Amino acid sequence: MDTATLKLQLKQQIVEFLNLLNVKPEDIKDDEPLFGEGLGLDSIDSIELIVLLNREYGIVIEDPKEGRKILVNVNTMVDYIEKHRTK
Amino acid sequence: MFYIHQHSCISPQQTFPVSRIDELSDAVDKKLQVIEPSYEQIPPGMLRRMGKAVRIGVGAALPILKGLPAPDGIILGTANAGKEDCVKFLNQIIEYNEGMLTPLNFVQGTPNAIASQVGILTKNHGYNITHMHLGLAFEHVLTDADMQITENPSGLFLIGAVDDISVYNYYFEDKGGWYKKETVTGKQLYDSGTDGSVAGEAAAMFMVNGNRTGAAAKLIAINSLHHTDAEVMKKYLQQFIINHLPHGEKIDLLLSGENGDNRLRVFYDAAEEITGRETAIARFKHMSGEFPTATAMGLWLCCRFLQGDEIPGHMIKYSKPEKGLRNILIYNNYKGIQHSFILVAIP
Repeated sequence: MDTATLKLQLKQQIVEFLNLLNVKPEDIKDDEPLFGEGLGLDSIDSIELIVLLNREYGIVIEDPKEGRKILVNVNTMVDYIEKHRTK
Repeated sequence: MFYIHQHSCISPQQTFPVSRIDELSDAVDKKLQVIEPSYEQIPPGMLRRMGKAVRIGVGAALPILKGLPAPDGIILGTANAGKEDCVKFLNQIIEYNEGMLTPLNFVQGTPNAIASQVGILTKNHGYNITHMHLGLAFEHVLTDADMQITENPSGLFLIGAVDDISVYNYYFEDKGGWYKKETVTGKQLYDSGTDGSVAGEAAAMFMVNGNRTGAAAKLIAINSLHHTDAEVMKKYLQQFIINHLPHGEKIDLLLSGENGDNRLRVFYDAAEEITGRETAIARFKHMSGEFPTATAMGLWLCCRFLQGDEIPGHMIKYSKPEKGLRNILIYNNYKGIQHSFILVAIP
């Protein structure tokens, strides 16, 4: 899967997993912050995203500090997925 | 005894934010599902995490809390709220082999999610409880509120009930034979002559206290009974009326929970026999569908009628009450065993 396709797939999964009302996958910019400003996600969402990475890509994030670096925006998530995915 | 002030109801009919109950919406796919509003008072970040039961419960509660002092307690009733999220959570445990689970379904998967969300959104740290006793969940809410107000007459309480049609409870109730096999319209529901009813859902909320001033209605008495014998129920209802109906007054309206299930007819016939020919009879399950806390919508309808709304023709079974409606008896039966008796009157 090329990077562009993976980005679109991830955005679709984020919308679906987090039940983001009135947000379309294509509305999420690649470098838009996921938390605080930008998409406005919160701490519960961060756990949902960690579960998403585990279920969909076989990635286990055990260190919360590591999670903070990965869950910055779609670009950082996709970069990590491409390097560490097991499925 | 206590007084009902503000009230709201999100139901399968046009009841929220304005009431147009003379226009009847029929069941679709044998389900009467609520007409959901836009929930402007719920922050979008919280709304996206709410299941339907939580949405309609919180959505019905917030408007009637607006502009009032913080209530001393939030007392809600439900039989099924949270069940859909609970089952999703349990399924995840199996699907992911007890591995990593999402918190959302767990958080939302408890019956008290509605009362707690209302408490969180309104920063209310008072008494907060959810009663869940199937067809008597709302009746126990009323009893609890009555006891709270007796102890604390100046107390103000948000009370109400919520139940929704989820995939899971619909499946089990349908398998149990509690829904009709055939499709019926609202008008046909009571004359179908078959077992079962149509599935329904609603959220109804009330602000109650011990103060008569400005009240919409007075809840005179509430009682319940577990029994399968119509004769026992008849005697119980007769005594309930003797004990609580003000001397020299009559029941102007029987709001019957009749739901078109042939097996329960005997109980509703018994209630009609007790109240007699002087009492008009209206029904509401063709508007709400059948669900364990349907009497909350029944009580909301009573508040509307006692405040002067006309009883729509489609609700009338027998006679039309004269002007000056004073006393209404709600009788409801859940699954042939749980009986509910609520006497409500003008304040």
